[in-house]
Amino acid sequence: MLKVAIVGCGKIADQHVHAIRRIPDCKLVGVCDREPLMAKQLGERFGISACFGDVTEMVRAVAPDVVHITTPPQNHCMLAKECLNAGSHVYLEKPFTVTAEEAKSLIQLADHANLKVTAGHNLQFTLEMMEMRRLVNGGFLGGRPVHVESYFSYDLGDKSYAGAFLGNRQHWVRQLPGQLLHNVISHGIARLAEFLDDELTQIVATADQSESLRTSGADEVLDELRVMLRDKRGTTAFFCFSTQIRALNELRIYGPVGSITVDVVSGSVIRNEKRAHKSYLTYFIPPLRNSREHFRNAGLNLTNFVRRRLYQDAGMKELIERFYNSIRLDTTPPIPYREIILTAAIMDEIFAQIYPTGLRSSAISASVASVSTLPLQPTVQ
Amino acid sequence: MVRDTLNTPIIGIEDPVLVTGAGGFIGPSVVRKLLEYGFRDIRCIVRSAQSLAKLETVASPYTNNARLGLIKGDLLSRDDCVRATNGVRVVYHLAAGTEKSFAGAFMNSALATRNLMSAFLEVAKPRRFVNISSFAVYSNLKLKRGAFLDETCELEEQPQERFDAYCFGKLKQEEVVRQYGIERGLPYVIVRPGTVFGPGKQELTGRIGINTFGFFIHLGGSNQLPLTFVDNCADAIVLAGLVPGVDGETFNIVDDELMTSKQFLAAYTNAVGPFFSIRVPYPLAYGLSWAWEKYSKWSKGQLPPVFNRRRCSAEWKGNRYSNRKLRERLGWQPKVSMERSIGAFLSQFESSRGQRLNH
Repeated sequence: MLKVAIVGCGKIADQHVHAIRRIPDCKLVGVCDREPLMAKQLGERFGISACFGDVTEMVRAVAPDVVHITTPPQNHCMLAKECLNAGSHVYLEKPFTVTAEEAKSLIQLADHANLKVTAGHNLQFTLEMMEMRRLVNGGFLGGRPVHVESYFSYDLGDKSYAGAFLGNRQHWVRQLPGQLLHNVISHGIARLAEFLDDELTQIVATADQSESLRTSGADEVLDELRVMLRDKRGTTAFFCFSTQIRALNELRIYGPVGSITVDVVSGSVIRNEKRAHKSYLTYFIPPLRNSREHFRNAGLNLTNFVRRRLYQDAGMKELIERFYNSIRLDTTPPIPYREIILTAAIMDEIFAQIYPTGLRSSAISASVASVSTLPLQPTVQ
Repeated sequence: MVRDTLNTPIIGIEDPVLVTGAGGFIGPSVVRKLLEYGFRDIRCIVRSAQSLAKLETVASPYTNNARLGLIKGDLLSRDDCVRATNGVRVVYHLAAGTEKSFAGAFMNSALATRNLMSAFLEVAKPRRFVNISSFAVYSNLKLKRGAFLDETCELEEQPQERFDAYCFGKLKQEEVVRQYGIERGLPYVIVRPGTVFGPGKQELTGRIGINTFGFFIHLGGSNQLPLTFVDNCADAIVLAGLVPGVDGETFNIVDDELMTSKQFLAAYTNAVGPFFSIRVPYPLAYGLSWAWEKYSKWSKGQLPPVFNRRRCSAEWKGNRYSNRKLRERLGWQPKVSMERSIGAFLSQFESSRGQRLNH
């Protein structure tokens, strides 16, 4: 039985508790928040009696096998080091750390201590993302990916979250080097990192502030981001983050023969095989094949619903379960360390380009664009 | 009666008063009432600058006689709470967490309130802390349909089972207020407004029905609605902070001549134009909620238990409501009749008649 503890009892902690409770042979033994009332409310709602206001006290008292850290990212590195030093494996919510340097140091520490860490890139483990991976590994693309695209949108209409940080310059989101983008783009970047080589030769990032945000008074917050990337082997990638486009969460992978579109919003995987059709058949056969794909996805989703597999945060439960299994069986963690570091390194570079002088206090007068040709070489574990 | 009770308010008109959530729906009316009663030093803490224009409009007729201090801040910041409460005698705590998550609701209701009370005790000489709660804290599970729901009724014991983060936040907020009252001697009053309506809030209350599935389901039927017009509600809130001898008390706020769900919906439809709706009687709603709740448990939350028996009961069982305590102890009476209130509410749709409004 794995003993699990949570540090940081805010909104995301509830999702962790729900996911952990679905996994056999593990038990929540403690919750901790520097605001003891927050720990108490989580403990009360889920029947966890060991509530703490100090992480040192918690790891000493309940000696957890695994600690989930769900605090603001500024505290991730420090808390994770404390837990690793106390002998616990660590699951860190996204973004893994504030910088790639911190990510590397944590992973090194975990390796030296013979412990494991993982990042909360749970959208990598949704049902449709796992099907995509099965197709890619089965050779559907007909070779290595030539081009990868990741689209991610975020609804700023959610006043409970957006209102809090837009109205408060001291909010922890506003204190991150990449501000709003820093807190939300790692899901979208992580799925590019999976298919990119460690050595990137080019990143071009441009960012701007949307019209709707201009009226919010949050002058320095950028919320429209486009990034072009190229790795040493020539694979290219494109990332689009938007607060103006609604409900967009897609991955598109193009290979020499086939391509795959994963729509995380509708839980669909659309397979496209490039086959030549004679004459006018090219206008009829491919659309019919696409229709068949959509029907297939609807059927799969219905089956998964009937089988009770289509629940919210299925990706989180899958990732956590795989992480726990890697601890029990002493195998490699579900997310390769090189992907975690590469994700952090790409984010570092994006933020360096779009906030070239750090956080700016004046209004954004024009979009920012610059080009990096410096190779980014994260340490490969 | 109102004048009589206000002849001896617990503070003088020069004493500073703080209003949190002043930029919200009820806040500007509370500020206006305070200005009408002659208070000259009113402070408002608001989270965003967008609220300021609304408050400045409210205050503009009184600028010669009164000071309206606007403080931009966040109640989750202890420093902001200290700034806002410094020297204040009465706090009207209207700011509400509308988060859908339990942790968020707790943070923005209970924690924010704790910070505010703590600062109030630290840097002021508190005469009263008026905590604005909600009818959402009640459980009518054991009450019969049509029974009176008043201040003595049971509070919800299982907000998690009811899947109601707002209810949870408000319950915990009340808990922390009572705790400060007992342990730290903070004089407080808790007020629980019913369904507050008026110009500026276009949505229909969930007690009438829902449009979760893309069309309107009318669930309220002939239930009486615990309505209170925004100005009447604000008047009651202001009195709760000023009338002597009510420390530690709790007051429900509802108006007179309460309409039924059916009557309210008919008036609303008449104003905005017809839209498709289905009437679901309470026994059927209860049965469906039971089935949803069971499925949710069986599927381990594949469908979250958004519909459940506790929620169904709280919103659509149907009770009757009274403002007797409010009248007797605070000397309150609704100054705006229900007819005028509903007229004011519906007038906001005059320019948009024929457009289907989102619920």
